[in-house]
Amino acid sequence: MSETYKVPVGPIHIALEEPVYFKVKVHGETVEDVDILSGFVHRGMEALVLRRNFLQNMIITERTCSLCSNNHPFTYIMAVEKIAGVRIPPRAEYLRVIADEIKRAASHLFNVSMLAHLVGFHSLMTQTMETREVLQDVKECIWGNRMDLGANTIGGVKYDLDQEQIRYLIKQLNLIKKPIKELTEIYSYNGIVRARTEGVGMLPKEDAIRLGVVGPTARGSGVDNDQRIAYPYVAYDKLNFEAILEDGCDVRARALVRLREVFQAIDLVEQCLKDLPDGPVTTGGLPRIPEGEGVARTEAPRGELFFYVKSNGSNKPERMKWRVPTYLNWEALKVMMPGNKIADISVIFNSIDPCISCTER
Amino acid sequence: MTMDKKEKVSVLLAELKMYVTSGYKHKFSHFDHLGNEDVYIELHDKCDISAVANVFKQHGGRVVTITPYVVDSGYQIAYHFDVAGIVLTVTLHTEDRTIDSITPILKSADWTEREMQDLFGIKLVGHPNPDRLILDESMAQGIFKEYMTLSDAMTGAATNTLWEKINEAKGGHNE
Repeated sequence: MSETYKVPVGPIHIALEEPVYFKVKVHGETVEDVDILSGFVHRGMEALVLRRNFLQNMIITERTCSLCSNNHPFTYIMAVEKIAGVRIPPRAEYLRVIADEIKRAASHLFNVSMLAHLVGFHSLMTQTMETREVLQDVKECIWGNRMDLGANTIGGVKYDLDQEQIRYLIKQLNLIKKPIKELTEIYSYNGIVRARTEGVGMLPKEDAIRLGVVGPTARGSGVDNDQRIAYPYVAYDKLNFEAILEDGCDVRARALVRLREVFQAIDLVEQCLKDLPDGPVTTGGLPRIPEGEGVARTEAPRGELFFYVKSNGSNKPERMKWRVPTYLNWEALKVMMPGNKIADISVIFNSIDPCISCTER
Repeated sequence: MTMDKKEKVSVLLAELKMYVTSGYKHKFSHFDHLGNEDVYIELHDKCDISAVANVFKQHGGRVVTITPYVVDSGYQIAYHFDVAGIVLTVTLHTEDRTIDSITPILKSADWTEREMQDLFGIKLVGHPNPDRLILDESMAQGIFKEYMTLSDAMTGAATNTLWEKINEAKGGHNE
């Protein structure tokens, strides 16, 4: 059989959890080309936010996506704070990092557990999800919710940590260190995982740079673009850490970046708890948002998240636009897919940690 | 870090002065206490956007995103570039809804330009793959900029079928 076929995957497909449409051109078992169409669940959030005031938009932006939900209001709020000229108290800066890093660790563990699921290693998947469950408990105990933390507000944060909560947080983080170490060993050296991830979905460094790819997808190809370092915000400049890079350029490298970033996230939370300054957690009250424009960006679990806010002096934004990390990573699939087998499509797809609800704000 | 970024911004602005034919206005820069600088620039002529993209490409820059918005006399389009950790927002004005595509220069503009074409009906000149990205072929491009009340949208979407079924079940007649 040497004919070329077009296989449609999507928009609604059993292998996809959210709707997107791939037109995959295959030659025998091998993928030759892929075309991507999106827009099936577009929600028009960019229009919606113009009809809500600055405070209400904190709530809406948090609903853009579940896994990186904390980063959306966080980045939006930083853009608004730039327009209003607000500088948040030091304690709030550290508390913002803690909320963000807990979310990052949980998000990365979710992605690698999906990888285990897709390669058919289900006991590894359940083990990873079980470990992640500890972080879910942490979120529920400290912020009162398993996904949307509602941690940030204009001028600071909405939560504070007392001594008991700090002790609890340290205890829970210590609890997952050993399991994550064991899991990392399995993801790195197990025969099944290696066979399905090594050399699969290659994204050479030059292509990653050319396409402007972001997050662990880029860092797995050795592109150093961690915004926490390149464009420091809140307390990240005071913390001791380095960007995590891998040079495998394949699915395995991207998974390893995520696993190593889970350790890094735990370390960053511990650093924050150690150096947590005293003082208020917010500037108090809502500032008047004057006419102006502001940009802000953060390193969300999936990569750089960018917000642009333009205000005209009223209590609603004149224009708001956000660019989610996945948005730039889609085109990378066109480089990763060709030459791989049909069975690898879902594994490669998962390796960019795709978020369709983000893409289709 | 602070000095590096400041120096880089002055190099970039000086180069723009050389290559941007109709000139630009440096609206303002936002500095924060961590050494970041966000630069806001306004172009006098929309045709200069390719020259801007070329300058930023030479310095290893990329397109972060593009924000189009409606103003009384047409559209403002704000291009957000990243060069070495600096965010540069370049705004231009278009009245005729056409704009030169910068995707041939910076591939990272691809999707965001196509989204702008779908949602705002802005025509791209010279885009290598100007196909639909978000909207189905059956919908007119730029449909999202039209104001449609919820009741209008509902009237368009709902039919009498359900009401007729209820009527029939009750033994009534449908006209």
